[in-house]
This record gives sequence, structure tokens and C-alpha cells, in this order.
Amino acid sequence: LNRKRRTEDDNPILELDMGEGSNSSNRWPFVRECPALPPKEYDERRSKCPVSAVEMWDGSQAWLLTRYGDIRAALRDSRFSADSSVDSFPAPNAAIAAARKAQKGFVRLDGVDHSRQRSLLSKYFTVSYVQGMRATIEEKVASLLDEMAAAGSPYDIVEHFAEPLPIFMTCLQLGLPESAVPYLLDRTKVWMSSDSLPEESKKAADDIVDYFRDIIVERKQNPLDDMVSNLVHQSVMKGEITEDELLWMLHLLLVGGFDTAANMIALGTLTLINHPDEVRKLIGDPARAPKVVEELLRLHSVAHFTAGRMAREDLVVGEQPIAAGEGIVAPLPAANHDPEVFADPAKFDPDRNARTHLAFGFGIHQCLGQPVARLELAIVFQRLFERFPTLRLAVPESELIYSNAMIYGLKSLPVTW
Amino acid sequence: VKVEILRDKCVGSGNCVELAKWVFAQDDEDGKVLLVAGSDIPDSDAVMEAALICPVGAIMINGKLV
Repeated sequence: LNRKRRTEDDNPILELDMGEGSNSSNRWPFVRECPALPPKEYDERRSKCPVSAVEMWDGSQAWLLTRYGDIRAALRDSRFSADSSVDSFPAPNAAIAAARKAQKGFVRLDGVDHSRQRSLLSKYFTVSYVQGMRATIEEKVASLLDEMAAAGSPYDIVEHFAEPLPIFMTCLQLGLPESAVPYLLDRTKVWMSSDSLPEESKKAADDIVDYFRDIIVERKQNPLDDMVSNLVHQSVMKGEITEDELLWMLHLLLVGGFDTAANMIALGTLTLINHPDEVRKLIGDPARAPKVVEELLRLHSVAHFTAGRMAREDLVVGEQPIAAGEGIVAPLPAANHDPEVFADPAKFDPDRNARTHLAFGFGIHQCLGQPVARLELAIVFQRLFERFPTLRLAVPESELIYSNAMIYGLKSLPVTW
Repeated sequence: VKVEILRDKCVGSGNCVELAKWVFAQDDEDGKVLLVAGSDIPDSDAVMEAALICPVGAIMINGKLV
């Protein structure tokens, strides 16, 4: 493993404190030694002390879970709360803690408040509804690949392919015009990027909220046969949700589908480039795409910082008592790299049964968009490598820059063919 | 095996449908799970796995949560 690969960390001081290969620090998140794999501290703790105390950015303490079984059970347990508006809710850093505190989407709600909102969206995310989007996604992917062929190499997969496609998908699903894609893409990138100045980021965040507020007004006056119109004219009018709740539901769909899918496309493409045998098998057998996708989801587990919870009552995880008001961190990569469940977990092996992975989380908050992600990723990897079977990196792998943000991934992926 | 679904728990993840569509479907209106072939189902790995990966434990096999 190449230790010289750079990882952009939200907190470089933390990285210095811990030093390379150090496992003496008790501070979570741990630093990745190999950027393509979860930190090795998860493995060490899983074998020695599977539920252990860690220190958070603000000095508070939380319990770190590392076993698949414990993480799965905890995320499904309604005695844990996802309400991040409370003080000391476990977060990886100050910026994410502040962002989560301000977050109004139902992903941060518990119980009936959560289900009342989520259940209104479920019909737009059923397996059969999503399959109905297949032809349009195929067409969009084909046109992106045409643009790639026309532009020639080197070509940045992240900027030109991995980032625009998920925004297109959100627009398709919500019924927003395709002409909105460049604007929403720009605003979302500026908002989320750690390279943006705070005021730029704030402006972009406000612009997105304003955009959705305008769309709601527009669809209220001139309804179309689409998701937003239906939610305005049925759910809001009936009083099932407020207009403000609808606004944050739409916002959540944009956010939840963007950097997750974009980073899976980037990291998945890199992994396939590094496994030419698997590329050959995939090209020869399109039915293999879903297995490749599940294994890539497991291997990369890009939502690496998402699974904080607070205990609402005294309970026990593994053998560890956890008191009401204490936080837990249940990292999805730790579950998905548990060798008791996934043998030789660092190995990319589409022939293993990866379908039980927790990359989309578990419990009531499990990713609503997972059927969209599965379909999108299967089409992307199949068509990308069919079209460019000789796809390879345009820079040495050691020069790739990883993004250690809320969702793990790559800042860019220059390729040639 | 005897398959039982708890619709009030279901969050419409669709995992069961992807694994065993001869047993499970989703209601077009609320996205929640439906049984398409009754509750007595031939034992299969796919049905067991569908119960196992249900994120909210809405599928019981022989009266038990997997």
C-alpha cells in the first residue's frame, strides 16, 4: 500500500497529533493509512475490544462500535436517536456538527415525525418505479460517454461524469427541468466544497433553498404530473406535511443523492481500473453488474462518517453497558470490513455475497434512494467500460487526491483510454 | 416456511423485492411490502436473505425475526 498518497483531511492538526501508523490516539475519526481502505484501528479494536470509548472533536466521549452484528443491531434499535440537534451528538468534526445541527430533513428525526415524511416519498423509490427510469438513465449515460469520447483524454471522470449524473437523476426524479442541472450542480458543489469560503458556501446553500421554494410556488400554481406537484397538491393541501417540510424533503433528496453517488462512481471506476480481469468479466456478462455494484458499495462504504446515534435509555451493546444520553459511533466501513462476515474484506471480489452489506445504513434511516443508486451504478460501470475497455489512469495513482469529507471519495479522477 | 410481514414497520427499502420478487412486492401507493404468493413459501436462501437484510425487521420467518 502506498503510504504517500495524500488525503485531504478536514483537520490537519489532528493528523499531525496522531502521526503515521499511530494507534495510541483515542480520537475519532482515525486517519486512514491506506486511502482506499478504512482505518486499521477498526480491525484492531474489533478483535480486542469491539465496543470501546473514543474521544470526539469537542472532547466529548462516545462508544465506537466495530462489529457488523453490533452496528446492524444498533442502527435498527429505536432506543437510539438520530436527532443531531442535541448537544454532544457524535460528529466527526466541528463543521459537520454545525451542519447537522442546522439540518432540517427527516433523516435527523425519529419515530412518527420521521415516518410521516419519509412514507410520502416511498412510492417514488419503489423498485418498479425506479426501473421505469432505466431508459432515460441509459440515454443520459450514453450522451455523457459521447461527450467524453469527443473531448478526448485526459478526462476527469469526477467533474464531467460522476458529479453531473446524480444531479440529473435528482432532477429526473423530482420532475425538475434538465436545464436546472448546471445551476444545481454548481450551487451544490460550492456549498459542499471545503475549498469554498464560508460566505460562498452559505450563499450557495441559500440559493438551493430559494430554488426549491420557487419550484414549490411554481408547481402550486401550475401543476405538472411530477413528484413536487403531487406532494404540493396532495400532501401539503391535505395537511400531511407543511410547505416548509416539503422544502427540506426536496433538499434532502438532492443532498442524499449527490456526493454519495458521485464518490461511488469515482472510487468504483478506480477499483475496476485496478482489476482488469473484472472489467473483462463485466463486459462479457452484463448480468454481473449488480454483483460488481454490491461489492463496490461494500468495499468503499463511502458514507463513512454518517452513523452517529444517541442512546435514549440505558442499554447494552455487545457486552458494553451504554447509559441514556451517551453517544455511539457505528461506522459503516467498520461493519462492511468485519472479516467474520466478509472474509478477506480488503479484497475486491464480486463473486462473494456482498448483498448483506450496510453501505446504505440500516434501520428506519436506511437510504431511501438505494434502488436509484443500484440502477445508476450498474448502468454507469457497464456502459463506461463497454465504451472504453482500455480505460486507465492518466496520472500515477499516488497523485490522486482523496476527499475526507462527510462522504469519502476522490477530488478528481483523470483517465485516458 | 411461513412468511409474515409487518407493514407498519416497513420503510419501503425494496430490498426484499430485489431478492425474491416471487414472494414480495411493493404497493404502488405507499411503497410498503406486499406478499404476492401468500404466506406459505418454499424454503429458499433468497427468502431468508430478504428477511435478514430488511432494515427494519418487517419480515418474520416462522414467527421469528431474523
